[in-house]
Amino acid sequence: MTTLPSSRPQAIVEPLRKIVGSDAVLSARSDLLVYECDGFTIEKNSPDVVVFPTTTEQVAAVVKLCNEADIPFLPRGAGTSLAGGCLPVGGGVMIVLTRMRDIEEINLRSRYAVVQPGVVNIWLTQALKGSGYHYAPDPSSQGACTIGGNVATNSGGPHTLKYGVTVNHILGVEAVMSDGQIVQAGGPAEDPPGLDLVGALVGSEGTLAIVTKVWVRLTRNPQGYRTMLGIFDSVEDATNSISAIIGAGIVPAALEMMDQGILAALEDAFQFGFPLDAKAILLIEVDGLEAGLDEQRDQIIRLCEQEGAREVRMADGDKERQKLWKCRKQAFGAIGRLSPSYCTQDGVVPRTKLPHILRHITEIGTKYGIRVVNVFHAGDGNIHPILLFDERDPAQIKQVLQASGEILDECLACGGSVTGEHGIGVEKVEFMKKMFTEDDLTVMNQLRVALNPSNRLSPDKMLPTAGACGIEQKHPGRRAAM
Amino acid sequence: MSITATEMLPISEKLCPDTQEALVDVVRDCYAGDQVIYPIGGGTSLDYGLPPKADGVGLGLDALQRVVEFPARDMTITVEAGMTMAALAECLAEENLRLPIDVPDQAAATLGGVVATNFNGPRRFGEGTVRDYVIGISAVDGRGTPFKGGGRVVKNVAGYDFCKLLTGSLGTIGLITQVTLKLKPIPNAHQVVACAPPDLAAADQLLAALVESETAPTAVELLVGTGWQQDRFAADVNADAARPLLALAFEGTAQEVDWSVEQLKTEWRRLQMNQTHLLAGSEADQWLQMLAEFPRRGPAAGDDAALVLKANVVPSGTTRFVAQVQALDPTATIQAHAGNGTVIVRFADLPDGGIGRDLVGNLDALAARLHGNVVMLANPARAEMTRQSVWGGIDAPYRLMEAIKREFDPKNLLNRGRFVYQF
Repeated sequence: MTTLPSSRPQAIVEPLRKIVGSDAVLSARSDLLVYECDGFTIEKNSPDVVVFPTTTEQVAAVVKLCNEADIPFLPRGAGTSLAGGCLPVGGGVMIVLTRMRDIEEINLRSRYAVVQPGVVNIWLTQALKGSGYHYAPDPSSQGACTIGGNVATNSGGPHTLKYGVTVNHILGVEAVMSDGQIVQAGGPAEDPPGLDLVGALVGSEGTLAIVTKVWVRLTRNPQGYRTMLGIFDSVEDATNSISAIIGAGIVPAALEMMDQGILAALEDAFQFGFPLDAKAILLIEVDGLEAGLDEQRDQIIRLCEQEGAREVRMADGDKERQKLWKCRKQAFGAIGRLSPSYCTQDGVVPRTKLPHILRHITEIGTKYGIRVVNVFHAGDGNIHPILLFDERDPAQIKQVLQASGEILDECLACGGSVTGEHGIGVEKVEFMKKMFTEDDLTVMNQLRVALNPSNRLSPDKMLPTAGACGIEQKHPGRRAAM
Repeated sequence: MSITATEMLPISEKLCPDTQEALVDVVRDCYAGDQVIYPIGGGTSLDYGLPPKADGVGLGLDALQRVVEFPARDMTITVEAGMTMAALAECLAEENLRLPIDVPDQAAATLGGVVATNFNGPRRFGEGTVRDYVIGISAVDGRGTPFKGGGRVVKNVAGYDFCKLLTGSLGTIGLITQVTLKLKPIPNAHQVVACAPPDLAAADQLLAALVESETAPTAVELLVGTGWQQDRFAADVNADAARPLLALAFEGTAQEVDWSVEQLKTEWRRLQMNQTHLLAGSEADQWLQMLAEFPRRGPAAGDDAALVLKANVVPSGTTRFVAQVQALDPTATIQAHAGNGTVIVRFADLPDGGIGRDLVGNLDALAARLHGNVVMLANPARAEMTRQSVWGGIDAPYRLMEAIKREFDPKNLLNRGRFVYQF
């Protein structure tokens, strides 16, 4: 764990003010409280100073200053990370990029936009309204999360099944490296020769560089949608339908599953008319050319019925479609009706292993006496089991942590991953040793050493080999995740 | 023209380990003995990059071509890197799946080689590129350490993304041994719609109008130069060899493709482009494969170009770049993946004043203004193989690439001298 001579961070407050201006530096203890954690609230640690640069040059100057003073530093966007990606483990200087919020260019002819890292994901969608194009990655936190943060965590969302994750839509980045050097990798032209630095930086959780500008690819809007609700009397039939649909060569834009437990809470919250006796529901959406949609819809209905669906309902018009998506995207808000506290995991399994992992989750729930409900990206095999508990009971807390660990272990045993879209951050550092060999981690550390040799940038994140102190998780917290 | 590895590379022997473990041992031995290693897949891109000078050993992936796991219903496959693209396609087709990446010489080109060179073709407009499909990768670094990135599931953000870092890495930081791919279903219908606009300005107008098209093409190809007259379909479309040819490919269900073709014709008629030509089904597919072969062989049989260059520019700059190429050499045969700003040029002869002076210097400057660069794909006579003429202008990020190279391959054993690293 990085330790700091206590006087140093205070000594650079004045020089930092000179770089970014007095109104862009926070150093009073009370002002720093907001920045002591992100969406992962289990561990907290306050930065020593927070700065709000408005230009790339300011970011570079701050980074150089931190290096001269031998103080750790890390970037932060909106702080919606669910894995502690913005946790300032060793204190130091936090570089908050939310004042770099211009959309610099929208170029439809060449299908790209240039945005600063503090641009909120949905602002770009709004700016593109009416253009016939959109920026495809749409994490459920898109109303708050920034594109810089999306780049850092390689964010997903409900539409990744067809459209891919953030990295598939990033053409280039301008970044400040750990020594303060400003570089551009990629840009509006594709195929820059040599190593794919853009690909290496996306998803590196702020441990390799601070991204100060992003060239994103724009995607043509689909001509139409068909949104369906498959209602099933067994979870098995629902998961078999997922395999049947994808096995038939249909790639839906979204394929989400909700089980009986979450349906009750959703119905209570939104009164959509969900059948409460159903064991599982699939929210299936296909999009694309109108000419192909009815055929795909009919095929999906047929496949679901073959697998034993009780009924497949069509969303009646755009209004009902919007309402369905509202229920799905706000599902986590409804959980308060079920339990005082909850904990969500972000494992991934091959799609065909969904019946197995869901059975296993039920067994684990029974074993520990914990109620588990499920709402997740079924088409991607990205599960989000929600473990319900009461945080006032220390025994339950311990059981939830054990149960979570067992679920993620089983994801790995199925050939999957411990995180599909939330990232490793500090939360899952210990799982890296289970998922990767010592050699894998050694080579990952080589990349860190190559681009962040001093390890002053985002220390103690992502890699257990990078000196991470192995934060012991004592409390499952209360986290939403989509 | 077929060039063997021993002709192209300064190697005393070619080793072909039977297993990935045995390959790791070979790399470890080389590391211990300071032996330079030239990875060899299908041998189809050995002329890509600077000519190697240091003596070393060839490391063939010939024996590593097994299917490790093919859970077809998960639409992923894990295979060893020495598998040829043709063998992969055949295996996938049995389950009605494909990897929609176009490469020349599919019978010889290996998956590992395609990933290492980041080779892509016409379908990149609608289907993306190699990096979009690699979801897991195993490799061995220059110290002989085996490592992996990603996994076998389609969504995964654990750890650094070696799938991306190794794609296009030219075998210089790791020897790719195994790849897990995300797959797509094979579409049941294919059609190509082509027209011959009067000149490049008119072609540019059609390209600009595509931004608002209701259709979703898989490929947007602009073909320029008299060389295309050797192709029967291109000659049918374009009786006047001086005209450019614009061809769009559509893939999907029969209904989607039929609708798209009619819609595009309507949109083009509004722009006074009334004359269109069509190819459908396997003919369309074969024609797209002919276009995919272009970086290696021109449309005429036995067309061995003296020089093949590839430029990457901002897509809106495509026709401007093509015009510049034509001005420099009116006999050049040009293929542009116009929706992506990728321009591939086959020159029949080397320029009198030298490649650097007459071509690359000029084109590099324009490509730079259009945010891109120019690289050399082939130069059989090995004339003027300088860092600038082969790799074009690479500035700031190059230092980062070198920093990565130093960590992954501290003795500079992997493909030494072929990319721009200077140590």
